[in-house]
Amino acid sequence: MNTLEELKQLIHQSFDIDPATLTPEGLLSDYGLDSLALGELLFSVEDHFDLTLPDARTDIKSLEGLAALIDELKAQKAT
Amino acid sequence: MKRRVVITGLGLVSPQGDTPDQVFDALMAGHSAVTRLDQGGATQAALIAPAPFDAARWFTRLQLPGVDRVSQLAVAAAQMAQNDAGLAKLDEDTGVYVGTGMGGASAIEKAFNTHQESGRVPPLTVPAFMPNAAAAHVAMRAKIHGPVLTYSIACASAAVAISEAAKAVARGDLECAIAGGSEALLVPSVIRAWQALQTLANPNSDDPSRGCRPFSADRSGLVLGEGAAFLVLEPLDTAIQRGARIYAELAGSGVSCDAVHLTKPDAAGQVRALRAALRDSSLEPSDIGYCNAHGTATIVGDVVESEALQMVWGHDLDQLAVSSTKSMHGHLLGAAGALEAAITTMAVWRQQLPPNMHTSAQDPACAIRLITEPGTAASGLRAAISNSFAFGGTNAVLVFRQIN
Repeated sequence: MNTLEELKQLIHQSFDIDPATLTPEGLLSDYGLDSLALGELLFSVEDHFDLTLPDARTDIKSLEGLAALIDELKAQKAT
Repeated sequence: MKRRVVITGLGLVSPQGDTPDQVFDALMAGHSAVTRLDQGGATQAALIAPAPFDAARWFTRLQLPGVDRVSQLAVAAAQMAQNDAGLAKLDEDTGVYVGTGMGGASAIEKAFNTHQESGRVPPLTVPAFMPNAAAAHVAMRAKIHGPVLTYSIACASAAVAISEAAKAVARGDLECAIAGGSEALLVPSVIRAWQALQTLANPNSDDPSRGCRPFSADRSGLVLGEGAAFLVLEPLDTAIQRGARIYAELAGSGVSCDAVHLTKPDAAGQVRALRAALRDSSLEPSDIGYCNAHGTATIVGDVVESEALQMVWGHDLDQLAVSSTKSMHGHLLGAAGALEAAITTMAVWRQQLPPNMHTSAQDPACAIRLITEPGTAASGLRAAISNSFAFGGTNAVLVFRQIN
């Protein structure tokens, strides 16, 4: 499963949102995640992918942005 | 001029269920919700009274991050109270008054556990456990823009919250108040903390449901319960004008502090609260037909409360029917005053006395008129009181009067 799909599953498990409704370019806020839910999701992402998300990144507003960041951090870790 | 304050709505999430009639019927029938929790390992088992609750009925998964169980129960109970009162909309002339002893116990326990295990603490721990979270969630759900206040006074939390709310409505500060309490601390570390205090009932009886025995010679301690309860308070005139169902009048209240000992109760302090409540209600001891006792079933506490009642009622003590419904729903701690206020309101409304269960032999040191039989009718019950006596020495007494 690629990162985007894993992310969709994680959002589904956390918030009961149908993965089929999640699009790569969709903003997480458009799916109903407020700042508190987003904080909870990012904490779960760190647990699930075993990485630490940097503060103050604006590219985590969309699903594909977050997936790209995760891939980037995974690649950094691997090197 | 003080306005008369009445109760027009009740909402509960309790060990006996979540509708006022269902809960009161179960109590009238003597149904105990106390069960035995075996945590396994070296941990001693405990008796608890959990409240059945389906969070999905009240929250989507997206609404749940950072919302501790204590807030979930509060939102549900407050919403049901508002619905029960038939109030479609509340605004800045309404206040929210919430009692809670501990706040978000689940969030605190999870934070400490994860801190020890991995050093990673969930990001919403603080907003989940802060004691005023429950009140804030109630206000956000109902869009209430008046004062939203939290009272944390151990086992008197909710009774004081209701007392303060009623005073604000009586003064004319508010046209409506949603007042009550919530507590949800049935998590392993908190249960262990109570075990360490040596106050809990012996869990090793043959029938766990009979484990809480207030005023009984063989009582062994309190049983932790959980739940939330709210009352809708309005001025009598407003309630009549809008044709609301009026359960009872909240005729008055009395609050005092022992200022003697942090955990040991004191009859003199309780007497001050009882007398203040009667004075505030312009009632005499002989006007009160029923007392929903604090009655936690601790060795010391039940005797002290009996002494305090004896000191205030004197020769009229045999006219005062007494029961501790904690024998069936356990001790809801910061929410106890709210659940028991709702039960006492129902007793006045339905003219029935819920029993003090599991008393095999009444302790002679507790020389009060205990109602030990389920199904006791009380036609002519004009007024009743509910006692809440807290760690820290604060005593709160609420007085309920029948509305004709």
